[in-house]
Amino acid sequence: MTLFTKDDCVLCAQLKKQFDLSAMDVQVEVLDNNDAGALAHLAWHGLVERARKTLPILVLDDSSALHEFPHIESRLLERAARCGVAARRPGKQAGCESGSCALR
Amino acid sequence: MGVVMPLKAETAQARTHQVVNEDSTDIALFVRSSQDDMIGWNRQRIVDALLRETFIDRDTAEKISRDIEVTIQAGKVKTITGPLIREMVNAKLLEMGLEEARRMHTRLGVPLYDVDQLLVQHNKENANVPHGPEATNLTLAEGIKKEYALLHVFTPDVADAHLSGDLHLHDLGFIDRPYCSGQSLEYIKKFGLNLPHALSMAKPAKHAEVLLAHMVKFAASLQSHFAGAIGWDAINLFYAPYLEELSDDGVKQLAQMMIYEFSQQAVARGGQAIFSDVNIYWEVPKHFVDVPAIGPGGVYTGKTYGEYEKQAQRFAWALFEVYKEGDAAGRPFFFPKPLVHITEKFFKTDGHMDFLHHICEVASVKGNTYFVFDRGDTAKISECCRLSFKLEASDLEDAKQPWKMRYSALQNITINLPRLAFQAQGDDTKLFLLLTEKLQLAAKAHGQKKKFIERLMSLGKGGPLSLLAMDLDGEPYLKLHRCSYLIGMVGLNELIRVHLGQELHESDESIKFGLKVIAHMNIVCSKLAEAMDMKFVLEQTPAESTAFRFAKLDLAHFNTEAEKVVQGNRGKGEVYYSNSTLFNVGANMSPISRVEKEGLFHPLIEAGSITHIWLGEAQPDKEALAGFVINVFKHTQNDQIAFSPEFTACIACGKTSRGLSESCPYCQSKDVDGITRITGYFTKISSWNKGKLGELHDRYRNIDRFNN
Amino acid sequence: MSHFQAASGSCVCLPPIKGFLETSFIDWPGKLCAILFVGGCNFRCPFCHNHPLVLAPEGMETIDFEEIVSRLAARKKWLAGVCISGGEPTLSPGLPTMIARLKAEGWAIKLDTNGSRPEVLAQLLADNLLDMVAMDVKAVLIQDKYERCTGCPVDLGAIQKSIDLLTHSGIAHEFRMTVAPGLHTEEEIAAWVRQFDRSRSRLALQNFNPRTTLDALFEKEQGFSPEIFSRISAMVA
Repeated sequence: MTLFTKDDCVLCAQLKKQFDLSAMDVQVEVLDNNDAGALAHLAWHGLVERARKTLPILVLDDSSALHEFPHIESRLLERAARCGVAARRPGKQAGCESGSCALR
Repeated sequence: MGVVMPLKAETAQARTHQVVNEDSTDIALFVRSSQDDMIGWNRQRIVDALLRETFIDRDTAEKISRDIEVTIQAGKVKTITGPLIREMVNAKLLEMGLEEARRMHTRLGVPLYDVDQLLVQHNKENANVPHGPEATNLTLAEGIKKEYALLHVFTPDVADAHLSGDLHLHDLGFIDRPYCSGQSLEYIKKFGLNLPHALSMAKPAKHAEVLLAHMVKFAASLQSHFAGAIGWDAINLFYAPYLEELSDDGVKQLAQMMIYEFSQQAVARGGQAIFSDVNIYWEVPKHFVDVPAIGPGGVYTGKTYGEYEKQAQRFAWALFEVYKEGDAAGRPFFFPKPLVHITEKFFKTDGHMDFLHHICEVASVKGNTYFVFDRGDTAKISECCRLSFKLEASDLEDAKQPWKMRYSALQNITINLPRLAFQAQGDDTKLFLLLTEKLQLAAKAHGQKKKFIERLMSLGKGGPLSLLAMDLDGEPYLKLHRCSYLIGMVGLNELIRVHLGQELHESDESIKFGLKVIAHMNIVCSKLAEAMDMKFVLEQTPAESTAFRFAKLDLAHFNTEAEKVVQGNRGKGEVYYSNSTLFNVGANMSPISRVEKEGLFHPLIEAGSITHIWLGEAQPDKEALAGFVINVFKHTQNDQIAFSPEFTACIACGKTSRGLSESCPYCQSKDVDGITRITGYFTKISSWNKGKLGELHDRYRNIDRFNN
Repeated sequence: MSHFQAASGSCVCLPPIKGFLETSFIDWPGKLCAILFVGGCNFRCPFCHNHPLVLAPEGMETIDFEEIVSRLAARKKWLAGVCISGGEPTLSPGLPTMIARLKAEGWAIKLDTNGSRPEVLAQLLADNLLDMVAMDVKAVLIQDKYERCTGCPVDLGAIQKSIDLLTHSGIAHEFRMTVAPGLHTEEEIAAWVRQFDRSRSRLALQNFNPRTTLDALFEKEQGFSPEIFSRISAMVA
């Protein structure tokens, strides 16, 4: 599982706070101006255009992708439960008025 | 040098006259001057030129002129040419270590032998340039402007990088023009044909035919102010308000006139057809629906463009009927290239399947159609071979006044990717470091071209770029601050082959690494854009001659490494690198895989990309192609596709047949020429450069069914 | 033919797949399809372009069927079906098994055949295994004319049976013929067209193309000139 994120994305930040992603064996890719690897990884999954509209995106092991926040959250909750990792209860979903929850 | 300098020089000459007379040697020698004149020898002219053009002091100039005089005297010739004297002076400057002065005193010109070759032989750098007096004029002028650019516009590090083949500065012969232009018909609909320095001025057109005449002339003026493609946005929609009075036959006639006008304009600059693109939409694009329509006489019709859907569709349909018929000999029209935008709204618009079948039939029969995929909400205007612009917020604001929609890329620079892999010797860090350096150098070169064009534009309407400076709507035609600067690449496939030992089509690892290279380019470009406040965008270089040039230069300078990876036939000199991020053209890949896998790169290349599907002689059903096109839209990231058939045109009987044959199937004559797509457009194969001939031979045509 | 029987022996193993094209725009009218080429043929048509499949299939590598099935699975959204061509697929005892396997994967099937095995065709039709059939009817059904095109003895009764089967099958089908001036006169082509019920069957003519041919002498032959061919094609339009 890979979670594509950005540093100034409030929704990404919410997920990172909510879940212990490394303990859940979820690879986190941070799309910023210094990581060609993360951008290339995103392109490999054919998700660049998608990411330009919205982040975060969760890519599952079968290469399918979830981009709606509630779906990502519930999938991660499932995973946390299966891995026996504690997760915070979902709070109120952060809003993203600034438009920063997308690849530039 | 402007008009002031010669005056100054004359004054200087007058001042020194009495001094000169005293020690002027009397030589019975005539000089053929560059002013079409035979004049007597006058040493003082050397001094004047040196003082005018360089920073050396008078004493040194006098000394040089005396030395030259001695040399010429010893030669005992009766006449001598001005250019020779200048080169002798240059030799002297070199001998004296006055390198800066020598550079400033350089003469740009062409050897006699080269001119003779040029006037007789065909220049194949660009297959769109025919052979003729206009074409050789163009080549000669380009030659001198190119030298000028490398000496005077760009700094030596940039010029050296170009000459050594680290990168390629495109269209150096057009140094005093921007690269390409995209606009809508609205500018001439609103303002008429009102060009600076024109002999007459025309008011806005009242009839469709007149509008066409204005469009063609305007396109020709633009061609002489831009190096590359001239693109027209939503052409069928902007014609629509002129079509209401016309019958279907009338619309077809107009379509025919338009296509013939553009495909027969081989009388313009350099005998070169205007490299023109027309963008066509079946639906009314969302950003134009509520825009008030301009109609005959340049006045608002009182309706919005949304109300002209049916008229626009009528014109789109007619254009493709003409493309389907081809020219009088049944050949495909080379220009204008029709780009049909396939969007979400396309599929929601009545009659779209009929239209899709119609344009797919043209793709199969003649190959003209380009399918441009605008997924999601992005609106795009496509320009050159692959260059397209995503409309940003400011552009969408312009869309309300579509005459303001004019876009330009100022220059195009391509990076030689395989060479980076030769130099990196398998070291990832070094590879990315070298790539960054080349991108920085390309950005620097763009800055220098920008400065030069700014200088020309600052001369305003009295300057050389008066057409681009005209400001009928309150700002110059060329919006310099909105220009893009293109950075392209050649040979990603060969870079990967050197670095990883496998080509792109051979493993997922190759593709992943290839994506990393392009992602790196993308990221560095956006950082540079921020730092320099210039819009750097990646594009897939068409690389008609660059793919050949880089391969040749690398074979010369990196022979051991290069000979393992250049494509083509080295024995015949038909060598090339794969264009941009394209996979090996000969790889046995199904069209589906090619469209999917090449398409993974497209979202990272913001100025547009394409995948070619070479059909050879196969002529598929329109329904089969339509199904394929829909799937490309729905299931891939691919930006644009085109299907390319091949034809044989018989010079003896004038007939056209399908496939590339050595003799005409109609009359058996061997006097035939092939026709197919070279990079982004159709041309005659006889005009291709050797690298592209090598590529043509290798193209995979989806017919190799078993390994025999 | 003997080569082929020796190669496949008596086992009901799958037909030997000697060629695979993942995407064809031209082999199934109006549709995008994949094609499998089965090795071995009982005809020796001198103009055949697929002659390695006919003359020396055992020298060609056999492609693993399961590998093809899994490659095809990834193309479900793109392809309308799978075309089985050859060679002559109906010679392989394993053909029904192979088709059934593809059918189970949800693929529509088109079969290319020379019609020499009507009993196989009948069984495939009865078992509902075919969605489209293209049958080569190589000439008018006159012994010497037909055999000139097949390069070997032919049971015309079997060919006629296959034609009848398909005509009344109710599934999409096409009768097709490769024409060349050395093999067919225009009158014969007209007669060929007349023997079919146009309301039930689609007809197609293909002009001979002198590329690589089974009988090397045939590479010196020409197809009909484009003018004549377009006149001939009008007969089936």
